[in-house]
Amino acid sequence: MKKNFYELTFVINSVLEEEAIKSSVEKYTAYLKDNGADVEEVDEWGTQRFAYEIDGKGSGYYVNVYFTAPGELIAKLERVFQIDDDIMRYLTIKYDNKMLKNRELKQKGKAPSIFDIREEAEEDEEEVKTD
Amino acid sequence: MLKNPSHPKKGNLREKECKFTKAGVIYIDYKDIDTLLRFTNDQGKILPRRVTGTSARYQRQLATAVKRARHLALVPFAAENMR
Repeated sequence: MKKNFYELTFVINSVLEEEAIKSSVEKYTAYLKDNGADVEEVDEWGTQRFAYEIDGKGSGYYVNVYFTAPGELIAKLERVFQIDDDIMRYLTIKYDNKMLKNRELKQKGKAPSIFDIREEAEEDEEEVKTD
Repeated sequence: MLKNPSHPKKGNLREKECKFTKAGVIYIDYKDIDTLLRFTNDQGKILPRRVTGTSARYQRQLATAVKRARHLALVPFAAENMR
């Protein structure tokens, strides 16, 4: 079976107790592992403010997971997320070659950023701001 | 815009450069909020290419990235308390 590399971000209701959040994160990483996914990295961003209110709440607990899995799993996973009331938002993205390369560079801390060219192009930066 | 090469305005036109091309960015990440906010205005709208000088390829990537970030409430759809 062909496997792809995926990135998953989901937002847990931060009104829950800390333990409930933790168990929820564990539940989903375990779910991934049980269903034939190799979890590469689990990155918990912690509680963050939303840019806009969701269901009357101002913040949520963000979790970012990187894993390799067969494509069939994604549909199942998203269905589980849909049913779970504590998951406020989720986003799964399949990685292509460019994204993989970018991730590799990022892990080495060498990913190019538009902020690196700032010193050379100070004028240009300001021009954008005034617009 | 100005077809006459000797038009006085011609010299004043600024050469616009794509920042992403210049920096050699491979992929614009939706998690990279600082970058995304640079290319949106105060209202949270994506700035047009004609303003930022972003190349077509990166403008497309940028638009997807902003939309993904909006979905996850990392970036606003529209700014609050705007007049």
